[in-house]
Amino acid sequence: MSHRFPLIFLFCTFPALLAGQIGIYQHGTVVRMHMGECIGSGHGFMVAFGGPSTPMSAEPCPEYTLVSDQVVFVIVGRMSNSLIPLAQTIDFRLHKNEVAVRVDDAKHEAKFAIKEMMVRSDWDRVQRHIAEKMKDSEDHESEVRLR
Amino acid sequence: MRNWLSHQFLPLFLLTALFAGHLIHAQITQGGSEDSSASTYRSSASEVRLVFFVTDEHSYPAEPVQQDDFAVVDNEKVIRDFRSFTHADLISLDVIVLIDSSESVLPHFKEEIADVQQLISQSPWNPEDKLSVLSFSGMGAQIVCSGDCRSSLIAHRIASLSAGGATPLFDALAVTARILIERKQPDVWPVIILFSDGDDTISKASFHEALQKIRASEAEVYAIDLNPPGQASNGIATLQRISDDSGGRRLGIGEGAVGIFNGVISDLHSARVVTYALPESGSTFHSVRIFPTRNLTLQFRCRRGYYRSGSSHSEDSQ
Repeated sequence: MSHRFPLIFLFCTFPALLAGQIGIYQHGTVVRMHMGECIGSGHGFMVAFGGPSTPMSAEPCPEYTLVSDQVVFVIVGRMSNSLIPLAQTIDFRLHKNEVAVRVDDAKHEAKFAIKEMMVRSDWDRVQRHIAEKMKDSEDHESEVRLR
Repeated sequence: MRNWLSHQFLPLFLLTALFAGHLIHAQITQGGSEDSSASTYRSSASEVRLVFFVTDEHSYPAEPVQQDDFAVVDNEKVIRDFRSFTHADLISLDVIVLIDSSESVLPHFKEEIADVQQLISQSPWNPEDKLSVLSFSGMGAQIVCSGDCRSSLIAHRIASLSAGGATPLFDALAVTARILIERKQPDVWPVIILFSDGDDTISKASFHEALQKIRASEAEVYAIDLNPPGQASNGIATLQRISDDSGGRRLGIGEGAVGIFNGVISDLHSARVVTYALPESGSTFHSVRIFPTRNLTLQFRCRRGYYRSGSSHSEDSQ
């Protein structure tokens, strides 16, 4: 019994430790977060045609916009308490169509479903466009207010 | 001699004239820039000020907390650059105690009054703190005393309150929030201590209108639940929602006046204030949440939102 605990601990932390040592983690920054609809564990064809599956949680799940050098991911937690530490830089890796984020200084990883992916340059262009639109409307608003 | 003088003074004269010209030009330019900076200030300068509390996984105040231990999520945007981060130790309180004196709380009314009296007389108030008491039943809220409720005469007035009639809870909350908005001052922390079972039976204001008014006042609501413990009801859910939304807490009447005030005071001591530049957004209401950057066991509590300045709720954000 006393030997089991270290083995279980090693089994749980091994993937994160290994990934950290090999250096396969990418770095990114979370720039947006909101609580939205959860994505079920099964998705795609089986969910569309497979009839009713396990009931979805009534609580919302956290949705993050994770910006890396090349790609921007919109990722969704499996449960309402699947949180990412909002540090300036976080470590993550792609693992079986999911994003695994290193949490608590590499003690473990949290898995997130990928909702959207976009090339960084395209995302930057969209953000610039949104900022310009926002500025235009604010300028218009302040002009109206001054009148 | 004249030639010598003109040789000596002409360059000096020209130099002075040149400097005077520059000086006048500089003053005109400066005046112009002052004008333009003033108009910029009027149109866009704005800051968000957020009071929050941090506890560990056992709900004890967490110490020490640094500026880089948390990030604010303001209308979905993650903010890590703060203008200031301080302890909120030195701010004084503007407390309004709201007493539900309707028929639904009759079984607990004596206990409620005793707790309010104890809260007023035995709590360690600061001389600058303001304390007001309002009671609500029948068609609306009545002011028992405003700002100066710590005198012994007031205790007698509270003891003589009678109970009965319908419950205008949301109207009372809206009136209380309006009073706090009207006398709002910087560095004064508005607090509502609400004694109620959470059931409203007659208000003109809706639950959402009351909630909106409380958000606008930036008051923290400490809801003292008069329902029997271990029972689920709509009233309890209402009290929980109001206190959560404001960044306050729901406490049971069983905790007694000392426990209630200790809860408020421990919050006051652990409170922090963070300020940051108002993020661009198309909406007038900004939802806010605070999350840890490293230690996920830290729990952050603050009001759930504020209204952008310049909107119809301009009094809400600085």
